[in-house]
Amino acid sequence: MITFENVGMRYGMGTEILQDVSFSLEKGSFHFLTGPSGAGKTTLLKLLYLAHRPSRGLVNFFGKDLATLHRSELPRMRRRIGVVFQDFRLFDHLTAFENVALPLRIKGAKKIQVADHVEELLSWVGLEDRMHAKPATLSGGEKQRVAIARAVINKPDLLVADEPTGNVDPEMSRRLMHLFVELNKIGTTTVVATHDAELVNAINAPVLSLDKGKLSLTRAPDHSDEGQ
Amino acid sequence: MWGRTLQFLPNSKDREGLLPWVIGVMLFLCALSVASAVAIGTGVERWSRDLASNVTVQVIVADADERSRQTDAALTLLRATPGVEHATLLASADVMALVSPWLGDMPIDAGLPLPNLIDVALDGSTQINMQALDERLKATAPAARLDDHQAWLAQILELATVLQLVLTAVVAMVILSTVAIVIFGCRAGLATHAEPIAIMHLMGAEDSVICRAFDLRYLAHGIKGGIFGIGFAVITLWTVSSMASDLGEGLVSSLAPESSVSLWLLSLPLFAAILTMSTARLTVRSALRDMM
Ligand SMILES: Nc1ncnc2c1ncn2[C@@H]1O[C@H](COP(=O)(O)OP(=O)(O)OP(=O)(O)O)[C@@H](O)[C@H]1O
Ligand SMILES: [Mg+2]
Repeated sequence: MITFENVGMRYGMGTEILQDVSFSLEKGSFHFLTGPSGAGKTTLLKLLYLAHRPSRGLVNFFGKDLATLHRSELPRMRRRIGVVFQDFRLFDHLTAFENVALPLRIKGAKKIQVADHVEELLSWVGLEDRMHAKPATLSGGEKQRVAIARAVINKPDLLVADEPTGNVDPEMSRRLMHLFVELNKIGTTTVVATHDAELVNAINAPVLSLDKGKLSLTRAPDHSDEGQ
Repeated sequence: MWGRTLQFLPNSKDREGLLPWVIGVMLFLCALSVASAVAIGTGVERWSRDLASNVTVQVIVADADERSRQTDAALTLLRATPGVEHATLLASADVMALVSPWLGDMPIDAGLPLPNLIDVALDGSTQINMQALDERLKATAPAARLDDHQAWLAQILELATVLQLVLTAVVAMVILSTVAIVIFGCRAGLATHAEPIAIMHLMGAEDSVICRAFDLRYLAHGIKGGIFGIGFAVITLWTVSSMASDLGEGLVSSLAPESSVSLWLLSLPLFAAILTMSTARLTVRSALRDMM
């Protein structure tokens, strides 16, 4: 579904943060992305959620070559991608509810049409009491859960999560990972960047490792038990 | 007209708060310039209409007997000319009144030789060849001088045209500066709201959705500024014109715009709003096109 071939990425005139990165994500696959701080995980994810074009190399999304893709085709493609940003990037002047409803509203849904769906999801991540609070009054973990709810509200084809469990306790972390796994089971291709070795060990999924800009597969997909 | 609107921009009263005021001031200047140009136009037209229906003949000769002989001859000739409604000799008291601002109030028998003035009213429909009339006057009364005010009127018209051109240039410059200010404001707004815009893009919002949020905001600025500017302009024009009419007509024909012009003036806020919004739209669109 998504293929990277010899992709290089640099910011401006700086050094290459990513070098000759090649991998592919099959539809419905689940990958972890690990690596030391500053290795380029967020940079790679930015390419995956179409925030940047690569400096070189081939990138193919949903069967289309990014290099020849017109700007006007990007919005439709981005709506198929849910993103949990490392720093959440919530709208500070909107409530948790409004933040989570935004992707649906962008797709053209009316306010009343989305209410049930948004409330259900916010309850699921344990925020039924904080639904109408603004991000400034939420704890780090609560913000993170709002960010996750916003990323998955659309049932995206691709879910990209950057350290999605960095600010929550182990119990909530397991709960959130469970949400990702459930989504993955119904077909959402998932990439989760994390430092959390425990998390990586708890779920049997292939691991992509980044080190000094080079990507390698450090745990191969296991086809023995679940059907990915 | 709007399609779907999604106001995702935070309210930032503090940052863009000055824009409506600037637009208001610009509109105020515009309205005053337009009103002045229109007033000059109507004033000159009214004036030239008055002057065209009316010529003056002066008989200037020192000897009193000769003066009245030539005046009688001129009067006879003028009254026989087709197109002349009536020709009357101004009484010497009237002539005194005309020259008194320059000479002061002097007794009439001071022996000052005043010219005789004949006021000639034209019927306005018959075309009169002023040059031929002047020549015939000269033949019967050599001291008679025909003044149809044309030279003076031409100068006034020229001055009025120049003034109107200047005012048009002022309006054009004000409009251009308004556009420039809106562009600057809009660029600043884009920079301030770079983060929400980026997130909206990443969530798959089209440029049009983002543009519309800015459109609505700048439309509001434009309407606010427009109403404020036109309000002040109307108050100013009304005050000036009522002060001028207290002074008596003729001085300023009247700065108070006629009803057709008032409607025109009242449409200016709409114009300001549309100008502001379109400028913002073009600025935002071109900025968005440079993003991924
Ligand atoms: N916008 C940017 N401009 C220039 N350099 C950048 C930019 N973003 C990141 N970098 C640099 O790229 C390198 C990789 O950064 P990146 O954020 O991808 O690392 P990371 O693996 O996500 O780290 P962490 O685990 O701490 O989040 C770093 O050296 C960083 O300084
Ligand atoms: Mg990172």
